[in-house]
Amino acid sequence: MKTRITISLFAFVALAVFLIGAAKNDGYGSFKPKPLKLEIPKGWPKPTNNIFVNNKLTEEGFQLGRKLFYDGNLSSDGTTSCGSCHQQFAAFSTYDHDLSHGVNNTFTDRNAPALFNLAWSPLYHWDGGVNNIEVQPLNPITAKNEMGETLPNVLSKLKADTSYSRLFKAAFGDAAITSQRLLKALAQFTGSLVSSNSRYDKWKKGELKFNPIEEAGYDIYKTNCAVCHAEPLFTDYGFRNNGLSLNRFADIGRQKITGLASDSLKFKVPSLRNVQYSFPYMHDGRFNSLEAVLNYYISGIDHDQPMLDPILKKPIVLTEKQKQQLKYFLYTLTDTAFTKSKRFAPGQ
Amino acid sequence: MTKRYKSFIRYFFFIVGLLFSTIAFSQNEFIIKFVHTANGKRIIQNDSIYYTPGGEPYTISKLKYYVSNLDMNTARKSCFLIDAFGIDSFTVRPQIGLYAFLSFLLGVDSARNVSGAQDGALDPLNDMFWTWNSGYVMFKLEGNSDSSLADLHRIEHHIGGFAGTNYTMRRINLSLPKKMHANTGRHVITVEMNLDNYWRSVNNISISETPVIVTAGALAKRSADNFPQMFTIKSVE
Repeated sequence: MKTRITISLFAFVALAVFLIGAAKNDGYGSFKPKPLKLEIPKGWPKPTNNIFVNNKLTEEGFQLGRKLFYDGNLSSDGTTSCGSCHQQFAAFSTYDHDLSHGVNNTFTDRNAPALFNLAWSPLYHWDGGVNNIEVQPLNPITAKNEMGETLPNVLSKLKADTSYSRLFKAAFGDAAITSQRLLKALAQFTGSLVSSNSRYDKWKKGELKFNPIEEAGYDIYKTNCAVCHAEPLFTDYGFRNNGLSLNRFADIGRQKITGLASDSLKFKVPSLRNVQYSFPYMHDGRFNSLEAVLNYYISGIDHDQPMLDPILKKPIVLTEKQKQQLKYFLYTLTDTAFTKSKRFAPGQ
Repeated sequence: MTKRYKSFIRYFFFIVGLLFSTIAFSQNEFIIKFVHTANGKRIIQNDSIYYTPGGEPYTISKLKYYVSNLDMNTARKSCFLIDAFGIDSFTVRPQIGLYAFLSFLLGVDSARNVSGAQDGALDPLNDMFWTWNSGYVMFKLEGNSDSSLADLHRIEHHIGGFAGTNYTMRRINLSLPKKMHANTGRHVITVEMNLDNYWRSVNNISISETPVIVTAGALAKRSADNFPQMFTIKSVE
C-alpha cells in the first residue's frame, strides 16, 4: 500500500512538473540568462549603492539595454536615441557641443555628461536630482528638448517591434514589455560602462612609466585638484559651487533640488577621466578647452561669490609650464579601450 | 491495478480538497473602499462646482493618492493607488484576529522613493513619479478655479517629498466603529475622504494664494499636515 501511494505521488508530481514545463514552453526556449558580475577594478572602492542588487546583471539584460540605448524609437520622431547625445567616442558625452540637440531642432539646457563608472555615483544629473540609475532615463525620454516622447508611446512602439519580444523574454523570462523592464535593461547597459584602462591606470599597476612631464603634471594635480577630483574615480561625487556665474537659463543647480539656499549654484563634481574627449566643460559647456578651464581656476574665479566652495578660496597659482604639465597628466586619463570597445558600441 | 487506481484517486481528491480548503480560508478579506466628498456631496469629475471653506469655487478633474503600509501584518508592505474617478478600492487579506483600527500611510515610504524602476501601483506609467527630482507624488489634486491666477485658472496640487524634513507622508489612524473579526468572510470598510478638510483643518490653504504646488518643500508640507483630518470611517459591514 505504502509503495503504491509513493508511486502515485511520484506520478502526480511528475505530471505536475510536465504540465508546468509545457506551459512555460512558448517557443522561445527555456529561461537561462547568463549571469554577469560588475568587475571592480583593483584599488577602487566598492560601489556605494550596489545598483545590481535588485536588477540582476545578465548578458541578456545587458544586450537588451544596449539595443534600447541606441534605439531612436525611444524618441518622439525616431531620430534621437540615448546614444545620439552620449557618443561612445566622446566617452558618452556629446563631442564638441556645449549643449546637445533634442527633437524638433531644440537645444538642451545643460551639457550632456560623459557616462562611465555610473555604478559608483550615488546620485545622477548635474544637480543630483535623480536618486537611482534606473529612473534616470525617464528624464531624457520625456523632456520636450531631448527625446520628447511619452512612456506609454515608447512601450507601444517596442511592443510593435517583434524583435524585442524575444530579447525581453531572454532577459526577463517572458516576453512582457513593461516600463520597469525597459528601465532595468537600460541600467544594465549604462551601469556596465566602466572606464578603467587609461594610461594612468596602467601606470598605477606598474605596467608602464610616466614620462617626466606626466609625472610633474601628476604632482600638480595632487596639489591643486585631487580633493574634489579624487582618485581613483577622479571625483568625490560631491556638489560644489566653483564660482561660476549664473547662466542665461538661471540654472541654480542643486538648490533647485534641495530648496536650500546653501546649495546655490552647486553642481556635481565631474570625473576627470576621459576629460580629453568630454569638452566643452562645466554644466553648460561654457569652456571650450582645458586651457580655458585652467585659466578660469587660476584667474577667473569671482572670490566674492558668497557660496564659493571654501577649498577654492585659496588661489590656484600655476605657471604656463605647469599648466602644460598638468594637461599632459590629464591626457593620461584617456581610456581608448573604453571609447573604442565593441561591447559598448551599437550592435550589428 | 484497480487498487492502485483507487488509491491514486483517493490521493488526488485529498490534494484537491486541500487546495480548496486553502482557498476557502483565504477568503477572509477586508475590502477597503474610499468615497470622496466635498460640501457634503460625493464629488463629480469636472462638471460640479464646490466651495472651499474660505468660499473659493473650484472644480475637480483629478484626485489620486497612494495608500500604503497598512498596519495589518500581511499588508505592511502593500501599496495601492486610489483614483477618485477610477479604481477607488482594494482588497487585503489580514491575519486572523480582531481589528479595532484601520491604519495606513498616505503616501509612499522613503525606501520606495529611492528603489529605482518599479511596477504595479508604483509604475511611472501612473503619472505619479517626479522624474527631475526623483520621488513619488503622494497626493495629486487637479482642477480649475476662478480664484486661481495660474494659467487657464488651473489648480495643480502635486504633494510630494520624502527626504529629510520635507517628507509629506502622513500616517492615518482611524478607529473602527466596532471591532472586526478577520476570520469571518468578507468585510467592507468604507473610508470617507472629505476635501473640505484639505483646504482648511490644521492649515488654511487658499487657492488664490497657492493654485500650484508642484515641488517638495514648505507648501507641500502644509498640505500634508491636513491629510490626517480628511479621513473618517463611513461604514463597516
